[in-house]
Amino acid sequence: MPDKDKHIHVAFVGNPNCGKTTLFNAITGSKLKVANWSGVTVEKIEGEAKYEGFQLTLMDTPGIYSLTCYSIEEKVTRKCVMDEDVEVIVNVVDASSLERNLYLTLQLLELGKPVVLALNMMDVVEERGMEIDLHRLPEMLWDVPVVPVSAAKRTGLDILLHAVVHHYEEEPKQNTLFYGEGIEEKIAKLEVMMQAHYPLHSSVRWHAIKLLEEDEEVKNEHPISVTNVVDKNYEKEIIQTKYSYIEGIVNEVLFYRDKKKANTDKMDALLTHPIWGIPFFLMIIGFVFFLTFTVGDLLKGVFEIGLDWLSGSTDSLLVSIGTTAWLRSLIVDGIIAGVGGILTFIPNIFILFLALAILEDSGYMARVAYVMDGIMGKVGLSGKAFLPMILGFGCTVPAIMATRTLETEYDRRKTMVVTPFMSCSARLPIYVLFSGMFFSDYAGLAAFSMYGIGMIIAILVAKVINTIQKGKANDSLLIELPEYKRPNARTIRIYVWNKLKEYIHRAGTIIFIASIVMWFILNFGMQGMVENPGDSFGAAIGKFLVPVLVPAGLGMWQIVVALIAGISAKEVVVSSFAVLFGVTSANSETGMHSLVANIQSIDPQFGPLNAYSLMLFCLLYVPCIAAVATMKKESGSWKFTLKTVIFQLTFAWLVSVIVFQTGSLFF
Amino acid sequence: MTLFEGQKNFFYEINGVFTEEAVARRLRALGLNDGTTVKILNRKRNGALIVGVRGTRLALGKHISSGIEVKEEKKDA
Repeated sequence: MPDKDKHIHVAFVGNPNCGKTTLFNAITGSKLKVANWSGVTVEKIEGEAKYEGFQLTLMDTPGIYSLTCYSIEEKVTRKCVMDEDVEVIVNVVDASSLERNLYLTLQLLELGKPVVLALNMMDVVEERGMEIDLHRLPEMLWDVPVVPVSAAKRTGLDILLHAVVHHYEEEPKQNTLFYGEGIEEKIAKLEVMMQAHYPLHSSVRWHAIKLLEEDEEVKNEHPISVTNVVDKNYEKEIIQTKYSYIEGIVNEVLFYRDKKKANTDKMDALLTHPIWGIPFFLMIIGFVFFLTFTVGDLLKGVFEIGLDWLSGSTDSLLVSIGTTAWLRSLIVDGIIAGVGGILTFIPNIFILFLALAILEDSGYMARVAYVMDGIMGKVGLSGKAFLPMILGFGCTVPAIMATRTLETEYDRRKTMVVTPFMSCSARLPIYVLFSGMFFSDYAGLAAFSMYGIGMIIAILVAKVINTIQKGKANDSLLIELPEYKRPNARTIRIYVWNKLKEYIHRAGTIIFIASIVMWFILNFGMQGMVENPGDSFGAAIGKFLVPVLVPAGLGMWQIVVALIAGISAKEVVVSSFAVLFGVTSANSETGMHSLVANIQSIDPQFGPLNAYSLMLFCLLYVPCIAAVATMKKESGSWKFTLKTVIFQLTFAWLVSVIVFQTGSLFF
Repeated sequence: MTLFEGQKNFFYEINGVFTEEAVARRLRALGLNDGTTVKILNRKRNGALIVGVRGTRLALGKHISSGIEVKEEKKDA
């Protein structure tokens, strides 16, 4: 019997879109994000679970098709499963596409570690009228335990954990696929050679097979001279043998394969239509933002009433207990105005992320890569690069990380440069506030235009980079289109709740601190606390840079200060305006009126054109400090990061100036 | 002929993959080997296409589909 105190390390491995992360979340209760395309899990993620007195450390790995290292995700996953610490591998298999999924299974079995097969998406199999022979399947896979589970419905989870615990100290399986006399002879020779060189190696057979496939990583990790055995690359034969064997399995265990034409094909006829595909995509995205602005704004009103009440009652409470004026000002004008103002945008953010989550979880997102491939190809990027860009509508940080799914470093960097132009949710409060203040009936349109402009600029900039660097058109798209499915409520809830939590967390940390700092630099100057903010430290910094922004119609020191503060997080631009112009509830009707009045008391000319120039500047300049840090981490280059930041600042300035100057001729 | 020249709703058998080695290896791992049957599910006139292969769907750019030699099998009934 295994030692009951023992800790078991379990790795979850499977193809992209097989429901691996959903299953992992269902078991660990972890609050992770699950999406329906490859690249969501880009790092290995750990979670804990207890079962029958065992402590299980579960590792979720990026989805992969093969144990050969082509992309970053594959390297991460391969490193994880090869790790000596991993004692049991849970191979998550999408039962509805058994044939392709079993290819990875065969490779995992060759590792010689205990494998438990979690047969996920059995509900899809049933829906399509197919049946799987659950007795014959394990028989044909050398008696590997096969456990049908439903990650979405959370069934079969205990049985799966039971199998993990039960099998973890089993002797490694000796029977794996037979490759024919010739290749087997070579494998046997290589195994002997490997054992002589690396007696402690635990996956000798797997390693020998990889040597025959001339796998670079394997050769580098365990150098050994094999030229007398490996006379050519046997990868083709090895893969063919595996797939032939899988065909045999599928023929034997899978029944009524073509009973029902998959709904996916019917939906794809429409959504990936050669002509209507793009209009459909634009309509869907348009509808998402329509909901974000209309329904979101309705709900926002309720939050504003709450904020007004909070600010009023806090002020009277502080007065009644005799708090000093400066402390009252700090709490009411600094913290409540700054942080509270940001929190009123929760409904908009909620709707935006809800919509993105539904699009992701339904399987539509991968289609966007196909639909947009033509346009993206012309600017030198594959359609796949559009996926990180769409993620950018939510937040630039994960979007930049998602560029890992792209094949080349060149593609990655180019996508990293253009992704920040996709307007993230933190910029939304800026648009809502300024379009609300200056565009009355057209506020929605003005705000919405930022998303369109951002997307067009991203594509144009990619085109310019491609032309300068003399890149070719890119038509090397290669992406799997998963089955459409009804979005899973739990997955959506986890995703949206996490995003909201992050947003609220930012309000409570970065924005909280930024509001206090902002209040401080605006209320203190060289002579200590100042009556007139124009004498403050903030004003001094702002006034110094004002000349730069005059041509963009933004020549006010307050705006300069707000924009600089906005580099900490874009929402801070809004909270700073609230603090700078002494308005507690900037987003409410009355708040907006007094903000406009305050702005125009400084510059009576400040109108819609200035506001639009400001919105454009916010759309285009440095997204935030977190995004810059992520860019540095992902590119591994300060030079590239710095160049990008300078480009963003210059470009934002240039566009705002051109728009303001041209606009001034007409309005 | 190449897969790129194929038509929607027709089945094709792969005769050879002639792309950059890295892409070819990836395609093989995804199950596009010599002798594998694929069906073109959807296509753009001069661009990417979607094939059904081994129970899944793959979107392939023009460059990749032009590198896959095929022979026509039959049209879907």
